Amino acid sequence: MLAKTGMDRLDELMKGGIPQKSNVVVYAPPFIGKEIILKRFAAAGLEEGERVIFVLTDKSFADMKEEMEKLVPSYREYESKGMVQYIDVYSSSVELKEESEWVTFVDSPVNRERIASSITQSLKKNEGHSRIIFDSISTLIVYSDAKAVFRFLQVLSGVCKRMDATSLFSMTRGMHEEIEVQTIKHLMDGVIELREEGARFQLRVQGCGEVISRHWIDYLLEENEIRLTGAFRMGRVA
Amino acid sequence: MIETGIPKLDEYLGGIPPGKSLIFSIEPGVEESNMGIHVLHHVLEKGLHGMYVASESSPKNLKKAFSEFGWDVKKYERLTVIDGYSSLIGSPSDEQYVVEEPHDIKSYEDALMMALENITGSGVIVFDSLSTMMDMCGERETLEGIATINDEIGGSQFAAVYNFIAWPYKEAIFYRIRRLFNAIVDVSVVEDVATRQRMHVRKVDWQDGAEGRGFDFKIFKPEGFRIYIPKISVVGPFQSGKTTFIKALATQFTPVERMGASVGLEYGLVDYRGYRADVFGIPGQERFLPLLGKLGASSMGILLLVDATRPHEFEFAKRILATFPGIPYVIVANKQDLPGALKEAEVRERFGLPDAVVVEASALRGEGVHEAFMKLVNIIVEGPHAR
Repeated sequence: MLAKTGMDRLDELMKGGIPQKSNVVVYAPPFIGKEIILKRFAAAGLEEGERVIFVLTDKSFADMKEEMEKLVPSYREYESKGMVQYIDVYSSSVELKEESEWVTFVDSPVNRERIASSITQSLKKNEGHSRIIFDSISTLIVYSDAKAVFRFLQVLSGVCKRMDATSLFSMTRGMHEEIEVQTIKHLMDGVIELREEGARFQLRVQGCGEVISRHWIDYLLEENEIRLTGAFRMGRVA
Repeated sequence: MIETGIPKLDEYLGGIPPGKSLIFSIEPGVEESNMGIHVLHHVLEKGLHGMYVASESSPKNLKKAFSEFGWDVKKYERLTVIDGYSSLIGSPSDEQYVVEEPHDIKSYEDALMMALENITGSGVIVFDSLSTMMDMCGERETLEGIATINDEIGGSQFAAVYNFIAWPYKEAIFYRIRRLFNAIVDVSVVEDVATRQRMHVRKVDWQDGAEGRGFDFKIFKPEGFRIYIPKISVVGPFQSGKTTFIKALATQFTPVERMGASVGLEYGLVDYRGYRADVFGIPGQERFLPLLGKLGASSMGILLLVDATRPHEFEFAKRILATFPGIPYVIVANKQDLPGALKEAEVRERFGLPDAVVVEASALRGEGVHEAFMKLVNIIVEGPHAR
């Protein structure tokens, strides 16, 4: 079974999508489309009737909600059906906040135990497939230490698989040492990597089951869209 | 002895002697991981000192964590926070004791020693959490520092309690941890009928007979720690008084009565002396017999009610009991308020079950009801040798 990414040509490249129950990291420098992939993946999940859990370390749940509403016309409807849950690790916990059924606040990115158990609790509420959007691993590493985050991800990826969730994690290129990046990749079932090569944006897929091409492929970055323009089929010209 | 305030655990350990250390080794992803906070609160309630070493979230968050259980931090003058978090994220601290260099275990040591020197009296020091400290200060360095800290605490009137999330560290680290603390209590997840947590005493060096013992619990908000039994079924012949019994026992009750007979599954929530159980009443008409096994499936214990004035029904009651082989049970000899009600020994004899636990009760008067409940939960938690 495959989880559609919500971007037609990316799905085509990946022969239909990301294998369900896998953990994939989107590894990219800032501002070249990482967030778009995460949001599109969330939107595609909702359209498929799957539930979505956002784990946010870099923006508040309210900001994510606003961005998703722009992207998905019926987002509020999905929300009111209880298909969206947020684990907000960003909003400061200094003032006591009312937790709603769909938002859990975690006071600090250091509190990995709280993050892990919030995800487990949220997954327990769900029936069927879920998607987890985890944005971002980088913040977790910055706040503590890479080894601690590896252990956390080791536990979390097991939980997600067991509980029928497909997870997309984001990691920012340029913030980490190569060895950290390699270790995180090693923990994942696949990597979607983005880069800026001169004036071109390029994407490549590693792991993630069967794909048509593992080469760097050009894409165009639009407001809320990533459009693969490069060729990845034999006989097709870019 | 310093009580933890955790039911059963205090019974097993006899509390924590001053100078000793206890570590809660907690499986990642459990619903509630902050065991230490319950000990902290209990100790403060007893009027002793409570120190809270915060390394994974802001000291301000303690207020929130307390308020989830309806506790007010401001109430406790003997609460001292040792702030290992603010420096970490570079925010100013309001606390008197601050860990200036949260990446160095020595800095924790310094802050703690200062607090220990200034505060006279007895109490508990709660570390929340050891795993975060290890992640920040290095695993081996932290454990070496903790050895020193435990030595210092060893000479004081304080007991040390550590929260430790058992992430997949290397085996060598777990090996060290096992030697470093006077007591180790494992906390894990149990999922069968209902999700709950389990405490298991792995090691304790001041009390015999506690190692290997354990119990299931759940932390409710705002009620707090409860030994939790997700399903007890109340069964018995028609008109043996099951509904009256559950009403007398339960804190909350959902009836399904039609003209004096229960025609569906009754539900009662029992909250009693640190125990919480979901109790289900199963109708006793003979036509329900084929359904009994299903309705009572995954019960952790059975309360078998009989009308002690109607011994001719005991045979049927035995048939009901036979649908739950191997499940702990207590026979409730109900309607003791009526003349001619058979007593405990006689009921046991008529049932032909010489080892059965029988409790005399009058559900109508509310007598013997909680006694029967406590006997059953004891057998469930402690095994058949408990009476």
